Amino acid sequence: MSKRTSEAARARIAAQREALRKQEQRKRITMVVTIAVVVVIAAAFVVWSVRQGSSEKVAGGLAPVTVQQDGTVVMAQPGVTKPVVDVYEDFQCPACKQFEETSGSTLKNLAAEGKAKVVYHPITIFTQEPTRSNSLRAASAARCITDGSQWLAFHDELYKNQPQETVTGFTADELIKLGKAAGVTASGFDTCVRQERNVAAHQQFSAQTMSAQKLQGTPTIKLDGKELGNNDAFVPSALRDAVESAAR
Amino acid sequence: MVQLASGTSVSEQLQPAKPLLSWVTTAARVVLAGVLIVAGALKIGTPALSVQAVRAYQLLPDSVAQVVGYGLPVLEIITGLLLLVGLFTRAVAVIGGLLMVAFVIGIASAWARGLRIDCGCFGGDGTLAAGQDPNYFWELMRDLGLLVCAAWIVVKPAGRLSLDSALGFTGEREPADEDASDGGEDDGA
Repeated sequence: MSKRTSEAARARIAAQREALRKQEQRKRITMVVTIAVVVVIAAAFVVWSVRQGSSEKVAGGLAPVTVQQDGTVVMAQPGVTKPVVDVYEDFQCPACKQFEETSGSTLKNLAAEGKAKVVYHPITIFTQEPTRSNSLRAASAARCITDGSQWLAFHDELYKNQPQETVTGFTADELIKLGKAAGVTASGFDTCVRQERNVAAHQQFSAQTMSAQKLQGTPTIKLDGKELGNNDAFVPSALRDAVESAAR
Repeated sequence: MVQLASGTSVSEQLQPAKPLLSWVTTAARVVLAGVLIVAGALKIGTPALSVQAVRAYQLLPDSVAQVVGYGLPVLEIITGLLLLVGLFTRAVAVIGGLLMVAFVIGIASAWARGLRIDCGCFGGDGTLAAGQDPNYFWELMRDLGLLVCAAWIVVKPAGRLSLDSALGFTGEREPADEDASDGGEDDGA
């Protein structure tokens, strides 16, 4: 091996080392920049997403609530007849609980502000046990209440205490206890719940509603008869916008 | 570009030897990135539903389900974007692969427990529409296919059209010395 080639080789090694050192440095810088950019983007996404999901607080009092003859319940300021927000819900359905937690307060506020007439339609969507009977018992118990504001308080208690889908829940004892918590004063509430007095009427109403409204699932939210997509129903700010623009 | 004495640039030396295979990596990146970005984008705007879809699996305690419901779409989108541009490809592909493993476990366990849910992968609240049956088999096949994509990227990272190769990050080896004449042939697999 001549002296020349070994010198050339040494130079080549030095150049390579230098190149690799520079590359390492570049890599470090890129990594820091990337992490910084990712953190900023992630934070922006999270902030936006949390905003999309954040619920309103129930601001003041509620609009008057009236239990109708057919089992539906209307929440509206006197004289407010439109826009109509129809809520088709099942007390046992987890997505309905999620809807109530996310957007329930928005509906209460809109009704209180006189910007909407909200109509609750409790139905039973389940066909399998134990969810079907849980739902029937709960809905039947709700029909034992004639006072509107007590009904709404009971409605809220039912969702707060919704049983898992795999267990028997909403037993008579539990429902009576939830009634107490909701401040139900109706005479004979306990007996009415224990006897499941309104199951037949509820089932008839439920079947009729599902076929008449062509419901695919619960919750279904309709604004002036038109079904609202999930992107409106489950985003409180979007729900408010949709209702407010329908009022115009 | 840094020129070596031999006249070849660092990044050329560090390019994987077989061009066809590096295009396969690029394809795997695009597929995995595309699915992740779409899945994240369809969920991120309705976090309440995303949380509900996580709860439908009945696997995680509620507080964790909240965090996953909000965080998963963000993670999916960012992982997808990094894969698409090919930056820190191998590490990001590991994250993508772990996501797929988690999804496979979740869906398989829902199936095994006899739950009747929608995977909620691309939005929705995890409930099936009336009269709809669960689709666990194809959901699993899809996620296993994406897991294969992720694994391929981990084994043969970066591929063509990636920032990693443009920036010369593809070869993660010790400095080659004089007699390492195989430089550039193995890409660290």
